[in-house]
Amino acid sequence: MSRFRDLLGIAIGGILARKARTLLIMLGPVVGVAAMVGAVGLTESAKGDLKARLDELGTTLITAEAGTAFGRQNPTLPADAVRRVRAIPAVERASAVAEVPGVVTLPSEGGADYFETFPVPVLAADSRLPAVLEVPVRSGRWLDRADRVNRTRAVVLGGGLADEFGLIPGEVRTIRLNGIDYGVVGVLERVPLEPNLDNAVFITQWAAENDFATEGAPTKMYVRAAPGTTEQVDAAIPVAVSLGSSDSVTTRIPSAALEASAQADRTLQQTALFAGLLALAVGGLGIANVMSISVLQRSAEIGIRRALGTTRSLIGLQFLAEALVVGLIGGIAGAVLGVGVVALVSAVAGWVVVIDLAMMPVWIGLAVGVAVLAGLYPSAKAARLEPLETLRLG
Amino acid sequence: MHTPASGPVGGEPLLELVGASRVFGQEAPVHALRDVTLQVRAGDHLAIIGPSGSGKSTMLGLLGVLDRPTEGAVVVTGHDTAALADDERSRLRGEVIGFVFQQFHLIPYLTALGNVETALCYRGLARAERRERALAALAEVGLADRADHRPVQLSGGEQQRVAIARAIVTEPRLVLADEPTGALDTVNAVLVMDIFARLAQADRALILVTHDPRIAATTNRVVSMRDGRIVSDVAQAPTPFVAEGSGVAP
Repeated sequence: MSRFRDLLGIAIGGILARKARTLLIMLGPVVGVAAMVGAVGLTESAKGDLKARLDELGTTLITAEAGTAFGRQNPTLPADAVRRVRAIPAVERASAVAEVPGVVTLPSEGGADYFETFPVPVLAADSRLPAVLEVPVRSGRWLDRADRVNRTRAVVLGGGLADEFGLIPGEVRTIRLNGIDYGVVGVLERVPLEPNLDNAVFITQWAAENDFATEGAPTKMYVRAAPGTTEQVDAAIPVAVSLGSSDSVTTRIPSAALEASAQADRTLQQTALFAGLLALAVGGLGIANVMSISVLQRSAEIGIRRALGTTRSLIGLQFLAEALVVGLIGGIAGAVLGVGVVALVSAVAGWVVVIDLAMMPVWIGLAVGVAVLAGLYPSAKAARLEPLETLRLG
Repeated sequence: MHTPASGPVGGEPLLELVGASRVFGQEAPVHALRDVTLQVRAGDHLAIIGPSGSGKSTMLGLLGVLDRPTEGAVVVTGHDTAALADDERSRLRGEVIGFVFQQFHLIPYLTALGNVETALCYRGLARAERRERALAALAEVGLADRADHRPVQLSGGEQQRVAIARAIVTEPRLVLADEPTGALDTVNAVLVMDIFARLAQADRALILVTHDPRIAATTNRVVSMRDGRIVSDVAQAPTPFVAEGSGVAP
């Protein structure tokens, strides 16, 4: 242990003795590691906002719609589809909406022509929908059991629609669905993974059946899978809903597209990584070169150390340790520099900084490895020196 | 002509050359040392003198276990150096021998203290103990107040005294000095030789390789060499080192 401490002490002393030279050969590992950390950090951070959004939204939401099999118009899911899907063990929550066709929504007296031409979708929803979507109610409340039991004519507006109608939070507002007045009880926050819902009006199952004479069969289902089981649940839904006739149910994972676009540009990343490795390799050559010269210049020191009893292997190790310390400090400095560059560029470009700190030991280790490799030749040269030849006796 | 030393003989043998020869090169071999036999005991204060090319340096290499004879044996404190591996010879040097060189050979980027401590590296010593012993050695050569100076901040004489401190800090049985005053002016040479006089102790052998007869005069035994052979080995009464021009001939 004390031998190791002595070795490290001597190596650090040797490095500090020639500060300018040490800084110069440290540039290789510094630039190399900074380039690699920067390459990965910048390419990842460029997509950082998407990644952050993906983290926030999660990747566990699955939607299911009735397939457009031949001979079916306005296809719907079976009435007990939600119950069946909930039977899948990995499903945490599920909810369904039923589209109510042919309803004209009027937010106020005027604009009837417009809203007849571009009708607002009206959806019959159950009480669990916000929980499945993991989206809060922006103001007011969601449709609940009391609305169904008491047969209230209550609606919840999608976040986008509320903005469009100019709804002030807390405002008492009535809208007209096919001439029937409905009270707005709440506004659902926007649903980034399912923007269709932002412009919808949500009513209860009772209202759909009573006021608009539909059967209220679900047209779309929202399923939340347990973390990590999305694919598995995705595959299980058609089986659960229609016992294997998979063409009758179409599933989709809304986050998949986002996930794909959040992938960093691999080609760019690899190119920059390669440039970093190249810098590291060239830096290694620099270390080997400068240290070889250094061994010649320090032959008297080597000779005297050998005369004082230091063995060949310890002399070699001393120079190897010098290379190691150069690689280590250079690597750490490069990592810090790389992180700084990523943070700076991200701040300027308005990116979310994405840096995998767990990779830092790998980058620094790479720098140390290259430096030690570069130090092998000069170290061997130092160890081979004959003390008698370097001490100039007589 | 081989006269056994008659000085303070009786100490244990520290160093023995038995029929040692050293030949350099193979195609045109140079016989630097021919069949030399020499015994150095504790208490010997020995000067090896001779003109350049007489084999002094080769001898020093063999005595210092920096080199091995091509024939014969070099035995240091009972170890036949030819039979030792390279690492073992390194350790033997570190344990038994202290070197002082004409060119001092201090490590330029270390302080005086650091240079002395160099001799104590890889010995499993605690840092504090190493420092303490190095400071004591510096005090012994009168340079305690120069501990933090680098070699360039020291005069030649001071550098050589640091080198002596480095040589003795390990308490070696054998001190080898190669022209220790060769690069010094007279005043500093006197100082250095004073220290050597103090180093000559009964449990230690001190070997000075020199061509300066005034240095040889300070020893109790003089080995003269010529053409790779020992031509005389005589005991004498040591006289103090005398500066040039003082009118006293050695």
